[in-house]
Amino acid sequence: MPEDGVHDSQLLKGVLSLALMRLLADRESYGYELVIRLHDLGLTEVQDGSVYPALGRLERDGHVTSRLVASSSGAARKYYRLSIAGYAALAHIELAWRSLVRALEPILSKPVPAKPKEALP
Amino acid sequence: MNEGALTKKDRMRIELAVRKIDWELDGRIPRARRRQILNELRSNLTDAAASVGGEKAVQQLGDLKTLANSYRELYRTRFDVRAGAFWAFIAYAAIQLLGLALFFAFRAGVLAGGSHGASYSFEIWPGFGPFAGKVSAGDTTNSFEVLIGSPAHILIVVLAFAIGSTYRGVFTRRRA
Repeated sequence: MPEDGVHDSQLLKGVLSLALMRLLADRESYGYELVIRLHDLGLTEVQDGSVYPALGRLERDGHVTSRLVASSSGAARKYYRLSIAGYAALAHIELAWRSLVRALEPILSKPVPAKPKEALP
Repeated sequence: MNEGALTKKDRMRIELAVRKIDWELDGRIPRARRRQILNELRSNLTDAAASVGGEKAVQQLGDLKTLANSYRELYRTRFDVRAGAFWAFIAYAAIQLLGLALFFAFRAGVLAGGSHGASYSFEIWPGFGPFAGKVSAGDTTNSFEVLIGSPAHILIVVLAFAIGSTYRGVFTRRRA
């Protein structure tokens, strides 16, 4: 049973693209900055190694575009921003997510019984 | 976030991690894409190391092989040159081992028959070989010869390379 503030890694994987697209809709960012932004939201279990390929997937699918910007740290940073197709995809995924939450809410809001009811004959 | 602030050890840790990913991706995804991935990783790792140190920055990537596999799945091409080379080598080694096993069988037969010596030469099928051996009972002049590059050898190795380098791509496309 996860403690408060601890998130299931499989659940996180499922919503990582949504979270990244939503963050990029707010502001153009590079990989490590997005990791920090996710951690600041409390998603500290998200590993850098799952964010970077997820960004690559979003770029391959045309949901984000990227550009290289010279940085003081040496190697150029790759900044991502949401594309026009990305905004449409984000709206669609957000809708699907809210619909899923609405569908699950009636089950999850009920207290868990100590013992399941017997099946009806 | 200044690279100058990183210690030599941190820079080495970063480069080692990047090289490990490079090794896993070499020959498996297009070269230009590989270079882009490595540059981006290096840049992100440098920023992370400036905040949390080189060791933690690399740790935060998680398992490097898993990360490389994620990139492989993402940018997979029709050919996996590394897998092809591996199966070509296995096929070649199998052919040579088979030839060696046949030689030992022949040698055992010669010795069991009480012969003072014999020589043989054969082809498993036309163009495949020759495998040749000479056995002399009672001394150490047993010898075994095998052609290392007959047309059949080349054909089998090329076939193993072709199948080995493409079979994962075929299965992945079928699953999709």
